Amino acid sequence: MATETLKQFHRLPQSTYVDALRFLPPLSAFDRYVVVASFNSDSDETSIEIHALNPSTPPILTLQSSFTLSSRISSLKVAQKSLQNPLIAASTFAGSLHVLFPNPIDVSFESEVSIPEKTLHLGPITCLDLQENGSACVSVGEDGRVNLISVGDSGLDYRRIFDSKGLVSYTASRWASPTEFATGGLGNSLQWWDQRRPGGPVSQFKGNWSQGAASGVVHSIDIHPSRKHTCLAGGSYGTVFAWDLRRPQQPIVLSGIDAGEPMSSSSISESEVWEVQYDTFMSASNRANISSERVLPVMICSEDGILAVIKQGDEPTELLAENCAINSFDIDRQNPSDVICSHEWESIAFLTRA
Amino acid sequence: MPGLLTVYHPSGHDESSALVQFSSDSNTPIVYSLHHGLKSPIAPRLSISWSRGNSLRVSVFRSPETTETVLDEVEVGGKVVELKLSGEYVDSEINDAARWRRIAYGSVSPFAHLQNKKNAMAALSELRHSAPYDVDWSKYVLEYSKEINSLLGSRGSSPTSLIEDPKTVLENVEEPSSLKAAWELLEIFYADKQSQAWIPEQLVDWSAVMIVKVLPLFFSKTCNWRRGGEHLSVYDSSLQAVEDEPAYWQAISSALAVGWLDIVVKLLRLHGSYQLNQLGNRETENGLVEAVAVLISKMPRMRAHLPDGKLGECYYNKSDFIKAWEKWRAQITKLDCSAFWLQCSHNHTRENLKLLLQIMLGNTGTLSSATFHWVELYIAHFLYISPFTSGLESMHALAQKCMQLKPTSSPHKLMRLIIGILGENTEVVLAECSRSFGSWMIAHATELLTAGSIQAEILLKEERHNLGGVSIEESHRLVYAQVLSSHALTWQIAPIYLISCVKHGVGLLEILLYKQPVYHSQVLLKNIEICRLYDLDSVSANAMKIAGVHHWKHGRNGAGVFWLQQAGDEVRLNRIAQKLFDFVGKSISDESFEQWEGLIELLGSESRTAAGLEFLHKYRDFKKSLQQVQDGILTDAARKAGEALILLMKNPSTPQRFWLPLLYDSNSNPKGRRIEEVLNHFCDLQLKLLNWQGRPLLNVSQTNLLLNKLQELSVARLRPDFVEVGMPAGALSSVRVALATNLGRAILEE
Repeated sequence: MATETLKQFHRLPQSTYVDALRFLPPLSAFDRYVVVASFNSDSDETSIEIHALNPSTPPILTLQSSFTLSSRISSLKVAQKSLQNPLIAASTFAGSLHVLFPNPIDVSFESEVSIPEKTLHLGPITCLDLQENGSACVSVGEDGRVNLISVGDSGLDYRRIFDSKGLVSYTASRWASPTEFATGGLGNSLQWWDQRRPGGPVSQFKGNWSQGAASGVVHSIDIHPSRKHTCLAGGSYGTVFAWDLRRPQQPIVLSGIDAGEPMSSSSISESEVWEVQYDTFMSASNRANISSERVLPVMICSEDGILAVIKQGDEPTELLAENCAINSFDIDRQNPSDVICSHEWESIAFLTRA
Repeated sequence: MPGLLTVYHPSGHDESSALVQFSSDSNTPIVYSLHHGLKSPIAPRLSISWSRGNSLRVSVFRSPETTETVLDEVEVGGKVVELKLSGEYVDSEINDAARWRRIAYGSVSPFAHLQNKKNAMAALSELRHSAPYDVDWSKYVLEYSKEINSLLGSRGSSPTSLIEDPKTVLENVEEPSSLKAAWELLEIFYADKQSQAWIPEQLVDWSAVMIVKVLPLFFSKTCNWRRGGEHLSVYDSSLQAVEDEPAYWQAISSALAVGWLDIVVKLLRLHGSYQLNQLGNRETENGLVEAVAVLISKMPRMRAHLPDGKLGECYYNKSDFIKAWEKWRAQITKLDCSAFWLQCSHNHTRENLKLLLQIMLGNTGTLSSATFHWVELYIAHFLYISPFTSGLESMHALAQKCMQLKPTSSPHKLMRLIIGILGENTEVVLAECSRSFGSWMIAHATELLTAGSIQAEILLKEERHNLGGVSIEESHRLVYAQVLSSHALTWQIAPIYLISCVKHGVGLLEILLYKQPVYHSQVLLKNIEICRLYDLDSVSANAMKIAGVHHWKHGRNGAGVFWLQQAGDEVRLNRIAQKLFDFVGKSISDESFEQWEGLIELLGSESRTAAGLEFLHKYRDFKKSLQQVQDGILTDAARKAGEALILLMKNPSTPQRFWLPLLYDSNSNPKGRRIEEVLNHFCDLQLKLLNWQGRPLLNVSQTNLLLNKLQELSVARLRPDFVEVGMPAGALSSVRVALATNLGRAILEE
């Protein structure tokens, strides 16, 4: 297993548990902000906070503003309407959904629109995804409902586009295009939906692989804007695989216990992969390896404390191997060498790749 | 809700048997309000139990009458709320819970690392039948100790002198906690075997960092110094003489007594005779001050090295040190007897400089008057009187002597600890650790105490009857694990400590895992992960079962079946499969058919788990094609349905299971009874198929088969214990007629 040299790595201890974090699309030319979903166990308070990031050595996070919610956050996404201000969407374990609009001048929360709990889903919203332009959300839950929420100037409108009545529990969702999205669930299953063909998923993947991997749960999905036919998923037992809609029966296993060969070196982690994202950072060697045949490089974080980059047909590159779980990470779109991740042990780590 | 929580008063009980001393000061009951969100009236039915940590779980039940009238979905049954009581455990010193958790998180990996090393070494020595223990082990323990130490805060740069800004003689270093001070003490005496010879010097360093902030008596003095420092700058600007100020000299002599040489030198150089306009007429005086300053900065130290900015000359070797020490003292004596003193006109300067020389020469009286606390005097002894003190016994004797000279009424907890260590009394050290520094300290410090001391090892690792058969070490770890598991964010690190407990660790770990609310997916996954790490397969299977049943009960059938399948819970999966049979034979609406079909699909991925699933699958196929038939006249679909029906009837797996009990047994088998319903229902459905317009769908042999089954059924109906299912009275005969018609047409066809 290769390890990558980091130009900079710092752990920033927090006094709250960090459920999720994201880089905020730039509000102005010079400032960088990080949105943090934090939970204070002493006061039982959940809040969405915006911190200014000063990438000095060591980097400094300065709290700019915070918005208090009633329940812990299950999913946090950010987006930016073209030439407009960014917006933040969060879903809670109680089942409510909140969309926040930070003010570009003082980064305070200008306004908030929300849908109360027990409206969209029975029980928690397991995952939420915001469209790239911030115009719509898709929310999924264990109750088997799939909801579409449109974010307009007047507020939020929602529409239930599917209800499996508890037969299928969804645990992940991700937009592919303004009309298509993918969801994931138990048993490493993936579904592809198209709003133009309502009534149910238009294509389904149900792992017909051997026992171990079929029993996993998909925790995170990513779809690259340039390759919308490939759906990348990460889940239990260190499983990371790509599902190509053009060859829907053959998943491309990138990591995991059933990675084809009996040798387990291809599996970088053995426990839950909490988040997957296509790695937009291109080093010289990376760029040479890009081919349309291969899955693009993928960054993952896992329960056993691994932050790594996986390339198809290559040794995975380990960025971090921590003593505790890494819950969530985000790659800065403006500076893809910068990664921020949240640790289970109440800290945030900031790293810069060389 | 006042009056609901009664406060327990221990006054009437025998307090000597209490494990934790309970202060009965808080006799006033504390009233907590419950936010249960239920509409009144609420029947006074409450159930209170302990939840995690200091939380109470209060279940508020609605009375049955109101439940019947109020059909609000939200309010059915009642509500369970958790009530967090105040007074959460935190270490006495570190009252910031987040900081305490940071220490807890940080100490996990050094602890686990050391335990791994210990296990590996134990295995190795067993293999070799010898113990290559000591050297390597003490190295690991020191590593461990240093890592833990670094967690407790940085040592900072101690009292550094800042030349640039005369206002701050003492830099405001990060407040070192007494927890850190205590750990450093243990490290000096137990872990750091390499530097045993330099214990006196290490104590000097220790006191330099810790004494300032930790000892209350020193506090006031430091403040004086600070004020002194500020005064100095004031005097500077007004061109007044700092050396006329008694506080100035007092500060210098106190600092010198405890060995803060750099500060002393710095303060000396603030002396008025260094001022440019004074140089001319105070030359001799200035020379004397400088000579003392130089002597101080050249003081020989018996140690390997000094940190940056510290003064003194290091001697690693004892004989070299003695030579240098003698030479240094000779120089001091020579200066003391010098004739230059007579030429020094400034009284204050002359007397106080002479005093400093006496301190350096180890004059007991001067030292005693320059110090306030016995620890200061103790340190001064090491520095100026007996730098070779070694061995705990002589150090202890010295400490006793200093304490007699400077008695203190209520010794600080660190002082009690140091006395315990010097007195070689492991029990006292243990008691002090646990009393003053809490469970974290003692759980981690036992590794230091046992390092290299067989006596302590026996004391700590011996199994004790009065502790329920566990050793002291284990009992402290268990207590610490308990503290960890009482918090929602730290419970997941408790397993690391529990697993190091041989006797009760695994058992308590299982209990801890069972207590977690696994119906939250995140907690369940965490639970499974911990079980995977410690090979607790049965525990994780049980957690999955609990989660599965929870999901099932809350209508999330998919998740329910998934987790039951993960747990390999055949019993419950079978029961679910049996439930599906209930649908068979009833006319199903499209929607519930979808549900039913979905469930079969879910269960179907592992058909071996549930009996009769194959039958259900076939029934599903049949039913599906039948629906298509209903939708429109499709001969193909009808044919398929017919085939499915025949397949069902001759299914190799169904006969033994369903038909035989149905026909020959006393109908006691519930499966059998259901199958009967199935059959009846088939008949109903068959009518359509059997009276198919056009050509017969079933051939002769198929029709005969069905007729036979029908005959069997009608025979069964004659039995007294037959349970009639709600079929129209003429159903059987109409089916029979239909079959007969079909038979006739089939014969003609052939």
